[in-house]
Amino acid sequence: MELTSSRTHLVAALLAALAFVVVLALVGDLVGTSVERTIIVFLVSLTAISAMGLYSGNSGILSFGHLSFMGVGAYVSALLTLPTHIKEATLPALPGWLASTGLGLWPATLVAVLVTMAVAVVVGLAIWRLEGSAATIATLALLIITHGILIGWRDVTRGAQTFFGVPRDTTIWVAAIGCFVALIISRLYRDSAWGLRLRAGRENATAAASVGISVPRERFIALVLSAGLMALSGALIAHFLGAFSPKKFYFTDTFFLLAMLIVGGMTTVSGPVLGAAVVTLITEILRRLEGGLDLGFMEVPQVFGTTQIGIGVLILLALMHRKDGLAGMKEWEEWLIPTRRAAVNPKPLSPAESAPVIAENVTRRFGGLLATNKVSLTVRPGEILGLIGPNGSGKTTLLNQISGVLPPSSGKISRGEQDLLKLPSHKFADAGIARTFQNIRLFPTLTVYQNIQVAALSSKGGRDAAARVAGALQWLGLEAVAETDAGTLSYGDQRRVEIARALVCQPSLIFLDEPAAGMNREETDALMDILRRINTDLGIGILLVDHDLALINALCHRIAVLNEGRMIAEGTPEEVRSDPAVIEAYLGTFTKQSTVPT
Amino acid sequence: MGANDIDLILQQTVNAVALGGTYALLALGLAVVFSIMGLINFAHGELMTIAGYVLMYCGIAGVPFVLGVPLAVASAMLAAMAMERVAFRPVRNASGATLLVTSFAVAMILQVLFQNLISPRSQPVIVPDLLGHSITIGGLVIGVNKLFAIAATLVMLVALETFMTRQKHGIAMRAAAEDFAIARLMGIRANTVIAAAFALSGLLAGVAAVLWVSQRASVDPLMGFTPVLKAFIAAILGGLGSLRGAVAGGFVLGFIEVLLAAFLPSDWQEFREPIGLSLVVLMLVLRPNGLIPAATLQAQKA
Repeated sequence: MELTSSRTHLVAALLAALAFVVVLALVGDLVGTSVERTIIVFLVSLTAISAMGLYSGNSGILSFGHLSFMGVGAYVSALLTLPTHIKEATLPALPGWLASTGLGLWPATLVAVLVTMAVAVVVGLAIWRLEGSAATIATLALLIITHGILIGWRDVTRGAQTFFGVPRDTTIWVAAIGCFVALIISRLYRDSAWGLRLRAGRENATAAASVGISVPRERFIALVLSAGLMALSGALIAHFLGAFSPKKFYFTDTFFLLAMLIVGGMTTVSGPVLGAAVVTLITEILRRLEGGLDLGFMEVPQVFGTTQIGIGVLILLALMHRKDGLAGMKEWEEWLIPTRRAAVNPKPLSPAESAPVIAENVTRRFGGLLATNKVSLTVRPGEILGLIGPNGSGKTTLLNQISGVLPPSSGKISRGEQDLLKLPSHKFADAGIARTFQNIRLFPTLTVYQNIQVAALSSKGGRDAAARVAGALQWLGLEAVAETDAGTLSYGDQRRVEIARALVCQPSLIFLDEPAAGMNREETDALMDILRRINTDLGIGILLVDHDLALINALCHRIAVLNEGRMIAEGTPEEVRSDPAVIEAYLGTFTKQSTVPT
Repeated sequence: MGANDIDLILQQTVNAVALGGTYALLALGLAVVFSIMGLINFAHGELMTIAGYVLMYCGIAGVPFVLGVPLAVASAMLAAMAMERVAFRPVRNASGATLLVTSFAVAMILQVLFQNLISPRSQPVIVPDLLGHSITIGGLVIGVNKLFAIAATLVMLVALETFMTRQKHGIAMRAAAEDFAIARLMGIRANTVIAAAFALSGLLAGVAAVLWVSQRASVDPLMGFTPVLKAFIAAILGGLGSLRGAVAGGFVLGFIEVLLAAFLPSDWQEFREPIGLSLVVLMLVLRPNGLIPAATLQAQKA
């Protein structure tokens, strides 16, 4: 899998993670006793929350169900390592092949990870189409279902009773290795093409689909990977505790782990590290208070659950004051080390397809409203077609239908032999159709470079991605702001990033929905120049929706006019300007004026 | 099919309607708040627990049940509004995940408080003897508490429907649910409508608590947590943010649970809950937006 960030950053992150776990393990090893135990629990928790962050942080979907995977990992690995004489005594009904198995910790963990990933495949397919809060609640159902199965399946799990006799093989060094593996995998995933695509989907799902990303597929990959790491943490905790019950993998622990993740911030890998550290420290302090305290002048009574209340308040404060968590949206090394990317020769972004997109009798209803009514339109590579009409005439709805964002109620849309209506929206980019949106849809917390890079990696099989990104940056003159977060740019610059992001998909047609909105005259003129050159130099067709008739008239070879959902005119700018129906639509009634005001 | 089978089916239907009705009320309370501010309120169950404890204290103090019920319901409403003011207002415009975790933390804090300030153990609640009786209609033996639950659910649903379609505040609330920004431009005050939504969800949680307690005659710190988990699932099943969907989801879940309890072979009874929830997830796979999706989802433009 291709990595998307600079090597310097990844090497720095890797070395820091290594140093961190080694120092912790050394401290624990030397001090021993309760400090060692605390550090082992810390390392295992960190393994778990970096796995939870891998899924929830990159996808933006909070999961309550990840402890199910931890539970499955714990039980599977423990069943494999449990000495046979203990199995005979505590689990007499175990099937023979399992009763006679006695594996070491590492092979058992590996099997547990694989089994859990298989479970996650099933779960992932089941929640494939669920979005946002619905997906979150589905993960909650997963937690309850798994808990129910662990309790009900007595022959294998001892039900609600304690599962004991598991060899205590998780030493501090074992925990350190597990934690290091989890940190590195989550860090590499975050900056892999998969991770970048998923983060783009988190920022804006519609825009992500428009540049070729299948967000459900990316979520699925993240779920399966993070389930594997959860199983690792489950195996570690099982072999640390030696005895546990299904309760260990239910709400209380979900609450503590989520607290760490949220306080630290889940969009980075630094976040879980910070969060785990802060929450562990506070828990240790509160736990000492829990037993009651003599302050000399007064007695603090023993309060059961002080830790839970303390952590609850910590979460509330964290969410009110730092909603992205202590670590924020960037990794520490991204703050400290400026990004340097190797210079690449830009690639000419000439299109591959030559067939026009043909829409026939496209109709879309919203309840009783006919937003587009039997509209037919042909968009050809090589020409600039303007689409105009009064507000609410159906321009954006038409654009959404021919770019795959919105399925028509009836009608046909095809390109050559290809029926575009059968294509899922994320396949339109590879059919040579790219677009921008009326209300800018960037990936605001990603840099300009990443915004364009993720599109390049997701279209045309990701081939020559770096060279295409360089080309798109150059075309729109964005080199100077490449490493700036897209969301912090001015309106005009954001529009240009969006066009660059569409251009990098190497389309034969670009649909632009009000690209000049919010730009001043100079910016508009510069944009017109760029669009004209994209058309003449590269041969890319442009479908332009705008209210700026000066822009439309100066740029377009052909203009189509919509009014109240119907196509009322189509032709050269001169023809359209003198069309009586057009004049009536724009001015209300027919007047002697023979041109549409420009 | 003999007369006994028909009796059994009728009997289970009554049980399912009674249980499903309680889920429906809870899911409705969640949906009212969700449709307006996008919050899935984990602490909804704690509102229920609070109402349960008020009923318990009323019984101890010798307040008659008939007076205890409105007190309990009112306390849940007040608690809901207090919760909004203290915990949810500071994060009002945050993402759904942030709101969800906030409410999760509130729920955990309240549970620990109940355990410390009241009792970690289940406490008996004095309910009128009448609720423990049952009456015979035809060959059917029906508990008075079941009838009470069904009647109360019906009254609540009809009252809510009237409120939402006829009353000024109800209409304002629906407008806010469709498009909060526009509703504010039309002069609907955000604080008022959100407070009203919480009060309404508290009312529904309070009534659900009374029904729950009158079947079990006890209350414990986790009393509300489990049924509200189910209600979440019912709300999602029905279509998140859709009021009619929440009611439908509640009844469907009630039927699934009661039918599984009645007809699943005894070997499988231990897996009743996982099987029931898996069925729900299966339905969601087929209809990802729920049985009756919220209007705002349909109208969403790209």
